[in-house]
Amino acid sequence: MSHRISIGPYHPALEEPYKLELTCEGEIVRQAELRIGFNFRAIERLAEQRNFTAAIALVERVCGICSNVHTLSFCQALERLAELEVPPRARHIRVVIAELERLHSHVLWAGIAGKLIGFKTMFMACFGIREKIMDVLEAVSGNRVNYAMNRVGGVNRDIADPAPILAAVAELEREVAREIVPVFTSSRTTRARCQGIGRLSQDDARTLAVVGPTARASGLPQDIRRAAPYAAYAELELGVPVESAGDVLARLRVRALEILESCRIVRQALATLPRGDWRGPTEEVEFPEGTALSRVEGPRGEVFYSVTADGESDTPRRVHVRTPTYANMPAVRVMLAGAQLADAPLIQASVDPCYSCTDR
Amino acid sequence: VSDLEDIVRELGAAAAWEEENGSPWLRPGALDVPHMAGVLLARGARFVTITALPEPEPGSVRLAYHWDLEGRLLTVEARTQDGRIASIRERCRAADWIEREIHDCFAVEFEGATLEPLLLRPGQAPGVGLRGEDE
Repeated sequence: MSHRISIGPYHPALEEPYKLELTCEGEIVRQAELRIGFNFRAIERLAEQRNFTAAIALVERVCGICSNVHTLSFCQALERLAELEVPPRARHIRVVIAELERLHSHVLWAGIAGKLIGFKTMFMACFGIREKIMDVLEAVSGNRVNYAMNRVGGVNRDIADPAPILAAVAELEREVAREIVPVFTSSRTTRARCQGIGRLSQDDARTLAVVGPTARASGLPQDIRRAAPYAAYAELELGVPVESAGDVLARLRVRALEILESCRIVRQALATLPRGDWRGPTEEVEFPEGTALSRVEGPRGEVFYSVTADGESDTPRRVHVRTPTYANMPAVRVMLAGAQLADAPLIQASVDPCYSCTDR
Repeated sequence: VSDLEDIVRELGAAAAWEEENGSPWLRPGALDVPHMAGVLLARGARFVTITALPEPEPGSVRLAYHWDLEGRLLTVEARTQDGRIASIRERCRAADWIEREIHDCFAVEFEGATLEPLLLRPGQAPGVGLRGEDE
């Protein structure tokens, strides 16, 4: 006989509000349904009521963790509309900020995953490490969450002296390699807890069109930084960790290895930081009629923006945002089918869901 | 390029790809949307999303179907007829949430798909999410 269990929208097992309705037989989940929309703020509609510059500040509020990827995607779309070239120094600075954001997002997720696996002290260790990344972002941008780094055609702040960032990244890399990576890649406890659960086959990953680390952990080597490079990624060496098992352990391993990869990318971008302008155009930019599309590889995967201008007003006619959790979360229904009920919190957390992004 | 031309041929579209701000767009006018989804999926394209672009005429919404084909972002555009268009959910299950969201926010009816509960703002009438009261 089956029974239904409702989790959320507000529940200790969930970090953010959404509703998970599980149909179980005994301890086994047979079917899972998801309900979203509890954080709906109509940001797309609000963006159509602000001028292009104010809309940059608005889209930065889509997410409290990956705020930078939203302004980057939005500004890239506006730059395509206006046919603007971004100065090389600004493109490198954009890479540095994007990778620092990926670092603090992945380390935050590692802490939450550690807590759910049973490594409770990992949570505090990870948040201690994350603080150092936030300090670097604050030193560069003046802010710890919404960095306001991107502007149309360039960036708002320079990195005048890369040396302190390089030193911080080197220390961070040592700590991550010592404290986080071994727990997720070689710990017997982690393997026992995570191997074989929440599996998403490569075929399901492909037909559900999942993105980011969720796709890469199911054997799909997709990464917008490599497939359709933006900013300065085409000039940098970039490794894309891929695992084939498609289980929670594979998703752990992919993110742990991506933390180290991000450290390497930040070092490269700073080591090759070109001289010259970083602000871009100082005069007013006009946006002709048309639609421009933009994609960025955020910490959770591909972020997509479509921006339409009417060529007359100073507000966008239409802004559409497709966030990575929006693409990934339906796959949780597949991951949960046949799983132990006790594994449900860890399985849903393994896609690193963000409902602020999803609901917009 | 030959891939793109083959897609046009398979769709039987009387249109050519147009480059708009760095991305290829196909605007074939009349379009069998589920067939288009089948053609692109058979070529290994990944569904990205659908952008709804409301038109001034009542019940007319342009729908831009975005696909990733080996890193290239392709867009095929279709238009609703009296606020209705065929669903691609049967061919492309990744389109489930975005079709439901467009139904919620722009009152587009996706034919051939079972109507699920509203995805956003449960309990509200469809078509209110992204439109003003005067629209």
